This record gives sequence, structure tokens and C-alpha cells, in this order.
Amino acid sequence: MPSLAKTLPNGQPQNQKAVLRIENLHTWFEIRRMGFFKAGDVRALDGATFELYEGETISIVGESGCGKSTLAKTILGINHITKGSIFFEDQDLSTLDKEGWKRYRSAIGYIQQDPYGALPPFMTVQRILEEPMKINGITDRAEQKKRIRQVLEEVKLAPIEDFLPKFPHMLSGGQQQRLVIARAMILDPKMLIADEPVSMLDASVRVEILQLLQALQRRHNLAILYITHDLSTVRYFSERIFAMYGGKIIEKSSTTGLLEKPLHPYTAALFEATSDPDVENLHSFKDVPAGEPPSLLNPPPGCRFHPRCKKMIKGLCDQQMPPEIWVHEDHAAACWLYKDQA
Amino acid sequence: MSDKKVMLDVQNLKLYFRTQAGPVQAVDDVSFQLKQGHTLAVVGESGCGKSSLAKAILRLLPRNISTYEGSIIFDGQDLMTFDDERFRREIRWINIASVPQASMNSLNPVVRIEDQLIEPLLVHDKFNKQKAKDRVAEVFEIVGLPVDFLQRYPFELSGGMRQRAIIAMALASDPKLIVLDEPSSALDLLSQANLMNVLKRIKQTINTTFILITHDIGTASELADEVAVMYAGKMVEYASAEYFYTDAHHPYSQKLMASVPTLREDKDLAFIPGQPPSLINPPTGCRFAARCEKRFEKCSMQPRTTDLGNGATVQCWLFDETGEVKHA
Ligand SMILES: Nc1ncnc2c1ncn2[C@@H]1O[C@H](COP(=O)(O)OP(=O)(O)OP(=O)(O)O)[C@@H](O)[C@H]1O
Ligand SMILES: Nc1ncnc2c1ncn2[C@@H]1O[C@H](COP(=O)(O)OP(=O)(O)O)[C@@H](O)[C@H]1O
Ligand code: SF4
Ligand code: SF4
Ligand SMILES: [Mg+2]
Ligand SMILES: [Mg+2]
Repeated sequence: MPSLAKTLPNGQPQNQKAVLRIENLHTWFEIRRMGFFKAGDVRALDGATFELYEGETISIVGESGCGKSTLAKTILGINHITKGSIFFEDQDLSTLDKEGWKRYRSAIGYIQQDPYGALPPFMTVQRILEEPMKINGITDRAEQKKRIRQVLEEVKLAPIEDFLPKFPHMLSGGQQQRLVIARAMILDPKMLIADEPVSMLDASVRVEILQLLQALQRRHNLAILYITHDLSTVRYFSERIFAMYGGKIIEKSSTTGLLEKPLHPYTAALFEATSDPDVENLHSFKDVPAGEPPSLLNPPPGCRFHPRCKKMIKGLCDQQMPPEIWVHEDHAAACWLYKDQA
Repeated sequence: MSDKKVMLDVQNLKLYFRTQAGPVQAVDDVSFQLKQGHTLAVVGESGCGKSSLAKAILRLLPRNISTYEGSIIFDGQDLMTFDDERFRREIRWINIASVPQASMNSLNPVVRIEDQLIEPLLVHDKFNKQKAKDRVAEVFEIVGLPVDFLQRYPFELSGGMRQRAIIAMALASDPKLIVLDEPSSALDLLSQANLMNVLKRIKQTINTTFILITHDIGTASELADEVAVMYAGKMVEYASAEYFYTDAHHPYSQKLMASVPTLREDKDLAFIPGQPPSLINPPTGCRFAARCEKRFEKCSMQPRTTDLGNGATVQCWLFDETGEVKHA
């Protein structure tokens, strides 16, 4: 997909309104030993700052445990904020009262990691779609019916009458995920958070779901946060890409900029590790770092990638945390390699 | 293709499971040949019968079997004529080893890795205890794990390391064929790439024959010399990797390829509307017909297998019609 808009310095698209603003956001989980003594904090999300604009998709990529779902759940208010703030349409979430939270939640659609676990097995499609409306005070039957019809049409679960009485186990994986999307759309949200929406699905239906999300986005001018560990889908479905490692966003770029050349050595490794279907692959080895992502309970000092990084600068990378450096106007990396380009 | 000897020759293999609703035709009349030192990647969507094919070859069968027939000629011997005792004694582990789907989580958490790895070697009394330990240390090095990790417990190893330990276990008895069922699907991207490097090195140095089962067509290209595509219990295409990745013939293979997003190339992505048929009472004609844009009258009958030359086959009436040999 071509990139959506020209970017301003710091990678912000022009003439667009920020739906979501994240400032220095931290989410730590306290670990207690024997249920009593504090053993430390898991720094699952350790300082994230960015804005998400109307009608744009940001892809968040990274391997499991790097904090992607923690970011999603913190935005959704499922995790508490340890430090930093979240603004939704310029309103600080920490100032919201109970009603305000309800309104905020209804403005974000959430598509969970696991479609099979996301749907209550004992509810019919109809009830699954009615539930969020009841909670949010939409009780008028005619209005409920109208909305259900509309979302099911949008996600192409047709004929609608056939699907309404079905239970989730009667649907294929792809149909279940479309139902999850329908549920996320029923309150007419401004923003979608899609946490690995297709990683459990077969290749032949993955693209269908992603194209569906894209169509919904265009029709409703939705802002989408698309979380994935699969780098190969991002070029088709996002304007910007952020890479995460060890609880931090370590690279931010326009999609075109990143595809041209990843700047951070970790993102470059993700690129190298991704196999496109190509018979030439048989004859070459992949140049990827050994080792494992760091413990977030005791992250290494300095750059969190330094124990695995071939380009590590001794005395610097292993001691000081690299700042976010804007190397191009639409492309930043938190890496000391670019210290002279700030 | 070279004139290497045929390691595995499978003909008309069927594996049906008994269920209340009727037999599940998980592997239905599958035939193919695999040469020594080659890797065959078996690809296809969830539920198409990939793992069942592996189970049929390894004779790791559940209780509810309704049909198990065909011939499996392995290294010149027809395994279907072996009774279970002989199969266990002469074939399993010793000559054909397997890494089952999700097996990295199957290690016993309270037993040290070394004890778990030497066990199958001792059972087959090919080795005494010391020899078994030496052998296990050897294969640990081959898969790139530090030998002192043998003394650890599974939970002390990351997922990627556990998976390599399992592969070491499969290598230990120096089998002629190793069946890998989704070996890297549960791993993170970098661990997955590391594992593929390891398998590639083994392939190049030890000349083991592999069957690699995966739903990931991109990853399959890291190892495959041949590719087999399964759809609803049938093997609809079999071709060298070179032909498959550049010029797949079966309409399903083509659609599948078109649905794979690529990182390095910008292409028009497509998807396949609909879903595979149930394997209980599948359609009598081509099983892909309901989703195929190219179907015509003849497709209401099960297509014959057409030989495309050089060991490549396709099951689709389009090719039976023309009778053209495509891969000469
Ligand atoms: N013991 C069994 N009894 C009945 N049906 C079974 C049994 N084992 C497998 N099946 C069915 O056989 C078909 C093929 O299953 P199989 O496990 O071979 O698929 P697969 O291609 O390996 O899928 P995946 O990619 O999800 O691992 C499926 O419809 C499955 O539900
Ligand atoms: N509720 C929790 N309590 C403690 N640790 C958690 C909790 N949720 C997530 N974590 C930890 O935070 C880190 C990031 O997890 P997560 O955000 O789920 O990663 P991802 O989605 O990128 O795979 C992991 O180390 C995980 O174990
Ligand atoms: S800051 Fe240093 S260690 Fe970290 S990625 Fe950059 S070069 Fe490597
Ligand atoms: S046999 Fe017919 S329906 Fe089946 S794949 Fe070929 S053209 Fe399509
Ligand atoms: Mg997650
Ligand atoms: Mg399987």
C-alpha cells in the first residue's frame, strides 16, 4: 500500500488529527516472592511516546514478550499506568470519571490475539453482538437490529439470518475472527487495537481479514494500532511501523522508510530472519544474532540489545541507554550508531 | 534431479479416522517418492492432513483408525508388511525418527535433558550408557547447544533451545529419515531463523533425508528440495522446489502462493474465498472445486494424477486434458 500522507519532522503525517497521544508511558508489573516480599518489577513497557492519527495504521512489530500486548492493554485501561500519560482526543485518561471511561472504552474496538479464546462459547452470534450495546445503554431493539445488520454486512458474514443463531464453534477460524471484528465495530469506534489479529489463521484467510480491516478503516476513517510479530504483512497494511525490543520502542519509521533500510540492528535482524517464499533461500544461511531477549525483571544496562548486538560500541552501548535519534525526517532509531546524526 | 536412490516410496496411502459422523478421510490415496538426502516440505492449510500423513508414515496411530492401507517402501522394504513389534524394533527411532508438532513442550520437566535424550538409545540396545552419553553430546554440538546444557532441566532452556534438544534427540540414533512436524512454528522469528540454519547445516553435512511439515510456505523454502501441497486429504501437487516456487501448477497452489505476503517484494495479495470441505463425506469430485475459479464440467469427478515429468505430479483436470508434460 502506498504511504498515506507526507510526513512532517518526527514522522507525523500532515493535516491529521491525533486520536491518541501516548507520553512517556510505563507499565511495570510488581513481582512478589512468597506473595509478600517485593522481588522487583517486570518492566513490560518502559517508556513509549507517540501519536496515532485519524485514518492511519501504525504497525507494532517485535517478538513475543517485548511488550506489545502490554501496550495494547494499557491503552485499553486493562493494565494500570505506572508512569506517563495517555490522551484520547486531547483528554488525559487519568482525569476521566466512570462515565468518561465508559465513553472512552466504547470509542476503541479491541481485536484480541486469540480469536478462539475471544468469543464466549455459550453465546450465539446475536447475543455476542448485543452484549456491548446493552452495557453501553443502547437498548432500543430497532437500533440494536440495525447495528447488528450493518456490522455483519460490513464483515461479510452473510446471509445474516444464518449466522445470528450460531455459536462460535460452528464458525471457521476466519469467520470467528470476522465476528470478533464485527463486535469491535458495533459501537462505531474511532480507533481499533488489533493485537495479532491474524496470527492464528491460515495464510489463505489472513489476507482476507487484513483487507477487511483496511476497508473498514477507509470507510470509517479509523485509526488502527496493528500489533504483529509477522513483518511480512506490515508493508501492505500500515503507514508507519514501530519496532519494539525489551519493553521499548527502538525504531519508528514510515513504512517506505523502513522497507528501504531498517536502521536499528534488531530491526535489521527481524528483516533478515523473515523468509519470503523463494527457492534461493535454500542456498544461504541467515545472519541472525544468537541468544534471547533480555529479562524485563533485570534488563541489562545501556542498550537492551547490546548483549546480542554485533555492532555494540564498548563503553557506550553497554552503559548508556541510547536516546531516540531522528536520522531522517520520517525515521528514528534508539541506537548509538546514529549519535552523530542527531 | 540426480540419480540418488529412492529413500521413501509411498503409494496409495490412506489413513481414515473413525468418528460418529463417519470416517474422516485425513490421508486419501497419497503417492510420492523421496530421494535420499532430499528434504520434502509438505504444505497446506490447517486440517488438510499433514500431521496425519506423518503419523501414517511413522505408524504413530490413534485408536480410532478405520482405514490404514497402501504401501510405504522405505529403503527398499515394504513397511506395511512389518508387524507392530518389528516396526518398533527395526524402524521407529532407529531408522525413522520424528519431531512431532509442539514437541518442545513434551520434555518431562523434572528429568534432566541428558537422561531424556539417552533413553530411546538405551531402549534399542544399540548403545551402552556411556556410548549413548557420548553420542548425545555429539548431536548436542551439531544442533549448536553447549554440551553442559545436557545437565539442565527443560525449564532452564528457552523454547528455541528445547526445540533444538528435541532435534538432537531425533538425530541421536543416526536415522535415515527424520519427520519434522511444524518444528519452528511456535518459536519467535529469530529463534526460528536460527533453527533453520541448524537444520540446513545438518542437511548439508549429514545427508539425512527430511520430511518437513509446515503451513508456512516462506519458511519451507529455507529447506525444501521438493514441495508437496495437500488439500483436504489429497496431495494435489508434488514438484521440485524450483518449479513450485516459480511456477506452481495446481490452481490451489497458485492461490496459496498469491496469498503469502512478502517483505521484500510488493505484490497484489489475494485470498481464497470459502473454506476447505469437511473430510467426512467430502465432495466426490475435485475437493477444491467449490473454491476454484477454473472449474469445469469434468471437475465433478475426482481428478486423476497427471505426471508433469521429472517426478512432478498434479491432480487437476486442466492438465489431464492437455496431457502436456510441463517439467521435462
Ligand atoms: N484421531 C482423530 N480422529 C478423528 N479425526 C482426526 C483425528 N486426528 C486428526 N483428525 C482429523 O483429520 C484431519 C487432518 O488432521 P491433521 O492433524 O492431519 O491436519 P494438519 O494438516 O496437520 O493440520 P494443522 O496444520 O492444524 O496441524 C482434520 O480434519 C482432523 O480434525
Ligand atoms: N499481568 C502481568 N503480570 C506480570 N508480567 C506480565 C503481565 N503481563 C505481561 N507480563 C510480562 O510483560 C512482558 C511483555 O509481555 P507482553 O506485553 O504480553 O508481550 P508481547 O505481547 O509482546 O508478546 C513479558 O515479560 C510478560 O511475561
Ligand atoms: S545502541 Fe549499540 S548495542 Fe544497541 S543496537 Fe545500537 S549499536 Fe547495537
Ligand atoms: S480439477 Fe477442476 S476444480 Fe479441481 S483444481 Fe482443477 S480446474 Fe479446479
Ligand atoms: Mg502479545
Ligand atoms: Mg498438524
